Amino acid sequence: MTDETIILEMKGIYKAFDQNQALDDVSFALRKREIHGLLGGNGAGKTTLMNILYGLYRMDRGSVLRGGREIDIRSPRDAIRHGIAMVHQHFLQVETYSVMENIVLGSDVKHPYTMNLAEERHKVSELAERFGLQVDLDAAVEGLTMGARQKVEILKSLYRGVDILILDEPTTNLTPQEVDTLFESLRVMVNEGLSIVFITHKLREVLSVCDRITVLRNGKNILTLGRGEASEEAFVRAMVGEEMNVEKSIFFSKGKLGEEALRVGETPVLEMENVHLTRSDGIALLKDITLTVYESEILGIAGVAGNGQRELAEVIMGVQPPSGGRIRVRGVAEGSASGDLLRQGVAYIPEDRLHDGFLPKANVATNLILGFHRQPPYSRGVFLDWNKVFETARGLIREYNIKTQSPADAGGNLSGGNIQRVMIARAFSRPAKLLVAHNPTRGLDIPSMEFVYQKLLEGKKGGMATLLLSEDLDELLLLCNRIVVLYRGEIVGVLPRSRFEKYEIGRMMSGVRTNV
Amino acid sequence: MSEQTFNPPLPQKTVLQTAAQKAVPYLAAVIVSFLVAGVFIAAMGFDVLKAYETIFFTSFRSLNGFVQTLLKLIPLMLHAYAFTVPLTAGKYNIGAEGQFLAGAIGATAVGIVFASLPPLVLLPLVLLGGILAGAFWGLIPGWLLYRFSINEILTTTLFNFVSFNLVDFIATKVWADTAAGHPTTIAIGEGGWLPLLVNRPPLHAGILLALALAAAVYVYTNRTVAGYDLVATGANPRAAKVYGINVRRMFILSLVLAGAIAGLSGAIEVAGVQHRLIEGMQSNFLVLGLIIGLLAKGNNLAVPFVAFFIAILEVGASAMQRTLMIPVQMIFIVEALVLVFVLMSDVIGRRRR
Repeated sequence: MTDETIILEMKGIYKAFDQNQALDDVSFALRKREIHGLLGGNGAGKTTLMNILYGLYRMDRGSVLRGGREIDIRSPRDAIRHGIAMVHQHFLQVETYSVMENIVLGSDVKHPYTMNLAEERHKVSELAERFGLQVDLDAAVEGLTMGARQKVEILKSLYRGVDILILDEPTTNLTPQEVDTLFESLRVMVNEGLSIVFITHKLREVLSVCDRITVLRNGKNILTLGRGEASEEAFVRAMVGEEMNVEKSIFFSKGKLGEEALRVGETPVLEMENVHLTRSDGIALLKDITLTVYESEILGIAGVAGNGQRELAEVIMGVQPPSGGRIRVRGVAEGSASGDLLRQGVAYIPEDRLHDGFLPKANVATNLILGFHRQPPYSRGVFLDWNKVFETARGLIREYNIKTQSPADAGGNLSGGNIQRVMIARAFSRPAKLLVAHNPTRGLDIPSMEFVYQKLLEGKKGGMATLLLSEDLDELLLLCNRIVVLYRGEIVGVLPRSRFEKYEIGRMMSGVRTNV
Repeated sequence: MSEQTFNPPLPQKTVLQTAAQKAVPYLAAVIVSFLVAGVFIAAMGFDVLKAYETIFFTSFRSLNGFVQTLLKLIPLMLHAYAFTVPLTAGKYNIGAEGQFLAGAIGATAVGIVFASLPPLVLLPLVLLGGILAGAFWGLIPGWLLYRFSINEILTTTLFNFVSFNLVDFIATKVWADTAAGHPTTIAIGEGGWLPLLVNRPPLHAGILLALALAAAVYVYTNRTVAGYDLVATGANPRAAKVYGINVRRMFILSLVLAGAIAGLSGAIEVAGVQHRLIEGMQSNFLVLGLIIGLLAKGNNLAVPFVAFFIAILEVGASAMQRTLMIPVQMIFIVEALVLVFVLMSDVIGRRRR
């Protein structure tokens, strides 16, 4: 289907952030009518490369050619003028506007004073029809599912008449069913003459939908091949390099954990009974949550982001009190505040690391002991023992591979992935009987994800109970003994490992109850 | 967005190098401000070099000049701490002036009521009276913030005005010294006076208290668990809360501490300099304290040094006015310019990235 015409080329692109060489002589060529997968772990430089193409970053060196002619892109406006649009992981939409209004926002409309959008509407519905992107054009964006919001974002690009569409990790918040629909739409688009760049860190996705694949690692080109031209192993190797043992890894094990790794204890560590959480304006955030996590169990919480996961983690951690129901953690007084829970062996990896877990203005060592700073060995009575703190911090920095100049370096200098490593190092730095981990591997490259998985299984072996809330369904399928699916703050169902099935969970994630 | 690759760690920079690099924008800002101010001084027809010589060297040419500088340093340093200590917890205290006056009132009241007590008893009481009264003046905005979430910038500023009128009331109605031509109270008992370290020129023991306070602030914020709570609260209140720190209590505590520090400054001014409450004794300490705190970028450790620099300028400026007839306001322009240029150097530094 694809023809060999190259419609866009990026040549010898360099980009550095401070000391950090994000892109090092990267080249990329896009053919007409192809879906080109841009594959790599976090920190590989995929998004940076595309942000340059979309005019969000300026490159330090290199050139961009469109149809053989060099072009200069300084802003997204320039990019769109050259027929290039990008859909980011986080959509920029006006929540209270309708779908139609969001689509035309920022473009010239025929009747700006009356906002009579009949003509524009006609064009949009035609596009939606053609590409299988049906959405209710009059619905307010705030009520839409993530899948529908993504359609809005894609329609917005198509409406502007682009022929190159960049999608940054487009499957992140979608159910497996929504992913299938998206892939179908993408296929229609290339058949109609568009070219698509598909950024992802998920190998399975590129193999199922992309025509050609470019792999980046540490800001360098590793390879560009057609889908059929290489084995899956070759792509895996290209993504992770030589330092990782792929055969023994959990990440690439495809869910085949041994009997040993799956054994679960019998003592309940966390028990929740009919827990409710109601916002002050009466909206229920959590409804009637009842669940138990046993010793040595990893219990997964699946669900599209924003369906109560954050609230669930916070009521358990004592950050906000539940409006009703009981939460018991073995050996800790009921209703304890977060400080007491942490002290008594409940570890926490918050979802929003920047807001909920990190002190950008304090140094790395200070960050590594947050929450544990009141107890030995970090402090005795009134005074902190900085020697001990720095000693521990140096050990953690080494063990968790945190890239920083010293424990005294300002936290704000760390990159997102390294901040995540601080979160993980802190959570695992003390023995814990319960771990509440919310998207623990977000922003990590594959070897680091592997490291976290090993740590989780190690903890599990030692008896730690884990509540793993994750947007990454593959991660849950890989590690969990049971998966609980949340939808609008309610438990839709609980599946034991023997019944794990991606599409079944996907259905539950969109609110369909199954008889368990 | 979070796409960044990881490079091997850089060679360790030495502490000295980093410190030197940090000092460069400051030095540049100081030089540029003096150049700019020099243009004004020259345009007014004065000798620029002579003016600057006076500003910089008055503090070091005579013992008197140096003592004057130390005396100036005390209130400047304490007012700066009254700004930076709550800033460590992320709260803005613009009320040091009111807390200073409350402290002065407290010290004066104790000094007058118990005038006959011996120094060993009265002096500590006078200082304590000032500290407690100042702390109370910080507690009110702190409580309003804790209880009703009323912005502390607003309340601390407004409480300055309350204190002005309170001083006026006390100096004209309660303990008025009718012989003075200006709202002033009668003197406190001599037992409440701070002893002199040097008799001529007179240097009172307040400087020791100020230095002790600087040491205490350092130990508190850098070495103690409670100080960790304060720093964490200022660095990210949300994360501090999630990890078990009662941040609202830290907010209120930081304002009470600020009040106590400013109150101590008021007590020192009464016990060491004026020996009574005088309307207008708050001078322009508040603004200078803010400037010092901002120049120090809220860093408690840098406060004494920046305060010393500003004290040199202040003393030099008065001398410049006396000997060269250049208006003392000139130095306010310089100080303001230094602040503007230091802040601008930040912006430039950010742009270059």
